[in-house]
Amino acid sequence: MVIDIRRCIACHACTVACKAEMSVPLEVNTTWLKIVEKGTFPDVRRFWIPRLCNNCTDAICARNCPTQATYKRDDGIVVVDQHRCIGCKYCIASCPYDVRYINPLKNIVQKCYFCSHRVDAGLVPACVESCPTRAMVFGDKNDSKSEVAQLLAANATVVIKKEMQTDPQVFYINADETAMSNIENDNHYYTEGALIKLKI
Amino acid sequence: MEHADVNVVYSVQHQLPLVMYIGQYFFFTGLSAGSFVISVIATLLGRKEFKPIGKITALLAPCLLIIAPLNLILDLEQPLRFWHLFLFYNWTSPITYGSFLLTAYPIMGIIYAVMVYTNRQNAAKILGILGIPLAISVHGYTGFILALAKARALWNTAAMPTIFLVSAMVSGIGLVVIIAAVRWKWFDKKADKETREGDKKLILQLAQFMAYVIMLDLFLILSDILVLLTAHSDAFEAGMLILTGNFAPLFVGVEIIMGSILPIILVLGPKSRKSLSAAVVASILVNIGVYAMRFVMVIGGQTIPLS
Ligand code: SF4
Ligand code: SF4
Repeated sequence: MVIDIRRCIACHACTVACKAEMSVPLEVNTTWLKIVEKGTFPDVRRFWIPRLCNNCTDAICARNCPTQATYKRDDGIVVVDQHRCIGCKYCIASCPYDVRYINPLKNIVQKCYFCSHRVDAGLVPACVESCPTRAMVFGDKNDSKSEVAQLLAANATVVIKKEMQTDPQVFYINADETAMSNIENDNHYYTEGALIKLKI
Repeated sequence: MEHADVNVVYSVQHQLPLVMYIGQYFFFTGLSAGSFVISVIATLLGRKEFKPIGKITALLAPCLLIIAPLNLILDLEQPLRFWHLFLFYNWTSPITYGSFLLTAYPIMGIIYAVMVYTNRQNAAKILGILGIPLAISVHGYTGFILALAKARALWNTAAMPTIFLVSAMVSGIGLVVIIAAVRWKWFDKKADKETREGDKKLILQLAQFMAYVIMLDLFLILSDILVLLTAHSDAFEAGMLILTGNFAPLFVGVEIIMGSILPIILVLGPKSRKSLSAAVVASILVNIGVYAMRFVMVIGGQTIPLS
């Protein structure tokens, strides 16, 4: 998947479409916009970055899952078998991108699967479908005729936390560096209802 | 400074996947591994005065190891599916090594305890020697669970398994000292004076041994932190979190000062080195410190936001 930040208008359509498509319960999100504010008044800029599972080629979550509930499909999509997951949460602890969560209704781990059910039916993921500015593009990057391959060839792209060596498969065009990774010494604010869930 | 002007607004929840059940589990396996090793040392030396300690610890090890995995199962979101671990195992996941080790080790521990209690010395020795690598793996792998979750800078260090092992030894010895002292004080009254003196000396020796293992532990923790502070920015942040951040009171205060330095002073100090109560107090402090260490590692490691 390629996400062109130049086109993103931060309308949250992808988040909402994803919630509807995947029946994502309240309090958790499979896709969301990360918002970063930079600068001191009056020189302030706000950046946003659509976040979702990178469906990494070398997925540490799949490597660490003890029951093979998380595995990679032949087409590269990393999926979680709902009937096999025991909820040990090791995958959540291992993922460098914090994109996995416990579904509070089903008590299993979930994340973005690039809408594999839609992909199998020849459609694009719900977020891509809903994006009004076509900032998100989905396809096979090895097929040189696909739009994804052409975008990748024509633009400089970055992935989140390249140093983690997981080979992420979500590529960003024109993403702000600070917004991409969590940097040291910054202030983390949680909007209401998004506090750290602590049940020690 | 540019960094101070950056605000990240999270509109989604940041879950802490692993809760304190996991830390507790680390604590109990640690106690178990530690006491097993002590027991085997006692059996191998084969001297009469080591017998009581060998017996207590032989019993403790499997008992603790039956409590420990319960914590793990309770932590699962789908506890009734725990058998998936054995049916659908994945060899690249450290939890898989763990689930098999956690089955083999208590069984071995029980057989070993039976041998020790029925006085079959040679069988106990052989089982003990075979069991030590098993005990070490059972606890060492818990360190690997954290270390191989590469996303978390606080965990992802090569020292983690060794730190876990050494602190396991520390807390295990501490527990043995406490139990042996309780036995000495209340359940060992009938023995003659000489045996009682010998037993007391033995407990004090054990406590001193504990102090040396604590020093090793401190060295490992120090080197781990020094490396964290000089590594990449996430690691630096993790180091600062436990040195000056939210987890500093627990880490510096409880784990280092109260749980390591104070016990060393109590056990080796010229005034208190002959006192059994000082040894017991030190052992209690040590166990509180190790428990705090598990808390800092498990919970602290997850509080740095990754998204
Ligand atoms: S982003 Fe995280 S959850 Fe998704 S495949 Fe990569 S490691 Fe796994
Ligand atoms: S929580 Fe489920 S998917 Fe994640 S590692 Fe455990 S069993 Fe695998």
